[in-house]
Amino acid sequence: MDLLVVERIGGLAGFGGPGAHVRSRGQVAIARLSEADRRAVEELFRTRGDSRPSAVRDGFSYRISRTTSAGSETIEVPESMVPASLVGCVKDELI
Amino acid sequence: MSCQCFIIPTNVLERFAKDKTLSQEQRKCFADAAQFEKHWRQVRTAHGKLSAAAGAILPSGIQVAAPPAVTVADCNHGTTLPGTPVPASTADATAKRTFVETRAVADFYQNVFGRNSVDNAGKTLMSSIHFSVKYNNAFWNGTQMTYGDGDGNIFIDFTKANDVIGHELTHGVTQFSAQLAYANEAGGLNESISDVFGSMFRQWRANQNVTQADWLIGKEIMGPGAVAKGYTCLRDMANPAAKHCLAPQPTNYSQYKNGMDPHYSSGIPNFAFYKAAKAIGGKSWEKAGKIWYAALTDFAPRPNMKMKAFANRTRTLAKTMFPGDPSVFAAVNSAWIAVGR
Ligand SMILES: [Zn+2]
Repeated sequence: MDLLVVERIGGLAGFGGPGAHVRSRGQVAIARLSEADRRAVEELFRTRGDSRPSAVRDGFSYRISRTTSAGSETIEVPESMVPASLVGCVKDELI
Repeated sequence: MSCQCFIIPTNVLERFAKDKTLSQEQRKCFADAAQFEKHWRQVRTAHGKLSAAAGAILPSGIQVAAPPAVTVADCNHGTTLPGTPVPASTADATAKRTFVETRAVADFYQNVFGRNSVDNAGKTLMSSIHFSVKYNNAFWNGTQMTYGDGDGNIFIDFTKANDVIGHELTHGVTQFSAQLAYANEAGGLNESISDVFGSMFRQWRANQNVTQADWLIGKEIMGPGAVAKGYTCLRDMANPAAKHCLAPQPTNYSQYKNGMDPHYSSGIPNFAFYKAAKAIGGKSWEKAGKIWYAALTDFAPRPNMKMKAFANRTRTLAKTMFPGDPSVFAAVNSAWIAVGR
């Protein structure tokens, strides 16, 4: 089953940074996403989240990886562009 | 066509104004915005100078402009900004705290640095609270502050740490002054400026000198789960690599690499500010803070500034602002050398 591996990074606390003791990860099967969310994810990978500078500071970003028969690829996109079903699949934890 | 271009640097606006791939109407819009931005910048600079001059000449307590309006909105655990306006008479503890501490940040910038709000032109300070569900973050979105309630384990209500409120508002100050980018060295400086002024604000509120201050960032938002594991802060400006930090940081430029999260690389300039302020002594905002503020706001925007350039600004300012006290320059110079800049 094709999976999206999702990591929430950054924010005021620097989630997922080098040496950070807080991280947020999760995964979701592409087949379990709604048609609209599947299209949104497809668009994110196509545009690679668009890289225009943003005025947001301390916002979370999401590192999203997918592995399909065509191979693996990873993008990093700001939280505002990520479908709620992906935002909801990660869990914040202390490490 | 409407055009909202005010956070775009003038040189970029001017480039778009000449971009033949855009329509004539779009090019005119960018040209008008560039022209307006130049005038607006002059007005902001003049206003800042007037405020500072008035502060020096007029009897204490008299201000040139009224303090900025402070508004709070409630997201009710949704993610649509800004949310429902909250009256100042609210019983909500988070809202009350946000009103009080945001006004205090405005007072801090006005009384210590002669700055009228984040844009030095009285911009209304808008905050949204109760953002999303168990949201472990606070952020500035280019227009306003937003605070989550925390998940109750790793973090609690993000408004509980007044340095966090100072940190977020300072992102606004940086946006309207040096316009530092958010990646590489400028990103680390951007984050450090917010930690420096957030921490300084917390010390100012508690009337602490540099020895009394604990220099911790986010101490009051650490949740019981984090505290139980020994994490007492997000970051520690006095000891950025300490084990009690939830996110330890580098302490020397030799550890820096492009692409680092700005919340990580900010440890280097954070440590420099701490060392300078500590060596100077007294209250951090009296000398070191004034030098850092001038380095941030007294120059044309420089989005891609490197740490060395910022360090050298503070070296020059330490001499010109405190010509009769060479120990100030010595403290600033030694602090930057200690972190490798
Ligand atoms: Zn920040």
